Amino acid sequence: MSTPEVSVDGAVVEPADGWTFAWVDRGAGIARLSRDGASLRVLVEGSGEDWIVTLGGRRIGLRVRTWRERALEEVEAAIGHPHGPLEVRASLPGLVVGVPVEVGAAVEAGEPLVTLEAMKMQNLVRAPRAGRVSLVTVRPGQVVAAGAVLITLE
Amino acid sequence: MLSPPFRRLLVANRGEIAIRILRTCREMGIEAVAVYSDADVDAPHVTESDHAERIGPAAPASSYLDIGALLAAAHRSGAQAIHPGYGFLAENAAFAHAVEEAGLIFVGPPSATLAKLGDKLAARRAAADAGVPVVPGTLLPLTDDPGAAAERLALEVGFPALLKAAAGGGGRGMRRVERAEEVATALIDASREAGAAFGDGTIYAERLLTPARHVEVQVLGDRHGGLAVLGERDCSVQRRHQKLLEESPSPAVDETIRDALFDAARRVVGTVGFHSAATAEFLLDDQGHHYFLEMNTRLQVEHGVTELVTGLDLVAWQIRIAAGERLGPEVVDCRPRGHAIQARLYAEDPYRDFAPAPGTIGAWEMPDGPGVRVDPGVRAGTALPAEYDPLLAKLLVVAADRPAAIARLRRALDETLIGGVQTDLPFFRWLVDQPGFGAGHYDTGLIPTLWGGGQPPSADELRLAAAVAVAARGAGAARPANVDSRDHDGWATQARREAVERSAR
Repeated sequence: MSTPEVSVDGAVVEPADGWTFAWVDRGAGIARLSRDGASLRVLVEGSGEDWIVTLGGRRIGLRVRTWRERALEEVEAAIGHPHGPLEVRASLPGLVVGVPVEVGAAVEAGEPLVTLEAMKMQNLVRAPRAGRVSLVTVRPGQVVAAGAVLITLE
Repeated sequence: MLSPPFRRLLVANRGEIAIRILRTCREMGIEAVAVYSDADVDAPHVTESDHAERIGPAAPASSYLDIGALLAAAHRSGAQAIHPGYGFLAENAAFAHAVEEAGLIFVGPPSATLAKLGDKLAARRAAADAGVPVVPGTLLPLTDDPGAAAERLALEVGFPALLKAAAGGGGRGMRRVERAEEVATALIDASREAGAAFGDGTIYAERLLTPARHVEVQVLGDRHGGLAVLGERDCSVQRRHQKLLEESPSPAVDETIRDALFDAARRVVGTVGFHSAATAEFLLDDQGHHYFLEMNTRLQVEHGVTELVTGLDLVAWQIRIAAGERLGPEVVDCRPRGHAIQARLYAEDPYRDFAPAPGTIGAWEMPDGPGVRVDPGVRAGTALPAEYDPLLAKLLVVAADRPAAIARLRRALDETLIGGVQTDLPFFRWLVDQPGFGAGHYDTGLIPTLWGGGQPPSADELRLAAAVAVAARGAGAARPANVDSRDHDGWATQARREAVERSAR
């Protein structure tokens, strides 16, 4: 299992280690951080991927993305480049539980290509763009690593 | 006090200063009547008032600047007096005159005084005639001919110069010019801005004194010739010629300078028939020489600083003076004690040239404890109307001496949490740790030269923020971007909403 990736203005930021987080007033977004006996109050607002953390009165906007959201984003990015063969990869390690397409099938953008199971959740890997399936490299029951090629589209 | 001087007083203002005045009215046993525009139906100054009257749509010209609407509200509510606060109509001679004509008491100077002081250029001439040094510059308006104006500036004023609106205030109609070639454009811009803001595009010029400090003297005068000089305030921390932080006493003022400033303030006040509260503003150069800038015959945003070192309630004294009371010895012989500082908490982004940062207030945790005073204008859930000033609250501290006051301000800033909008709080948090500020060595150039645009967040801060964001996401939903405004008084709010709807038909 991978930790979420945090970025500020597009630059990845490695979260500081060792802090314990506790809500003081969840409704107001007030939390307490503590580490080695030291503690500080912070303000944190947001939901999903977009967060604002206020430190010393300064609002810092951050994106917190899980591996699944990153994968989705990669897919979306790929949609923007519909040229040539496209290798659809696993963005996370998991168990292949379904491959609803066969070689030669014409698929629309967003059509499910592979179902991956990870952390007891099923995730659909969808076609980033329309195309024809030229190669299926995985089969159900197979465990794949992050980055493994699953399907190739032409 | 024996009995309240008025049964009912209308506060012709909004936000922080309206609440400030409401509080004093309560203490004096006066019923305070708030007024509100359609943008302020749920505003704290309305929900915390005893009685509220709608005065019009959100646009200030149709509500808080509408003399007829304000007088009608005073009539409907049975108010006997009107306090204008600061800004809006506080120094508007026509308003004061209309209040007087309506048989009501204007809590401020006579309208004739406002008419005379409204022309800052005339006030400048009067001060010069009274033997008070004025900032070098023109004593007559600049003509509309930019070529002639540029020539006059070069000859009589010198560069850099500051173009100012004769009817002005709050930095509007003000332009800095470095060279003769810049005069024409700056003059047209300043005149247009002043015309739009004040209905009068008359412009004059002053030499830009740098380095300089902005020091002002607070006075109170009664209707019987009694006058009290209540110390000075240093207002040198400014952005866009507008004050951000004020302190009293000024670290740049010794007893000799103080005597000279107080004497000058008395002379300036003596040039007009005056009662109520007034402030004489001066520039102080690095040699300790003072130059008169302007006189404001109203409550200042920073009046609380003086209240904390004198123990006096200036709003209460304005009301008592309006009712004809004499200043007592506790005022006239008042000796300020200790040191007070005010930080103005604005919804402004100090990392973007203090640009207004609109939005809805999220978390709202204000500091308290010994020596801390907060004059708020908003609360959690307040949506900041785009039509008005972005002042959220004034944070004031008082302590035995300046180092203790700075330490107290630092502590109070660290206790403050404001969500939903960027505020200037990180600027103040930076300022209290600046050695120059700590030593009292700063001038009006502090923000442009020392702060600039502020530093980007450090790598450690970013990593800490990242840890918080990851943990918060993992810990479940936090507060959403906006929270519903809290309904402190459901019936009154409903009634006001209905009033708004009726008027909209």
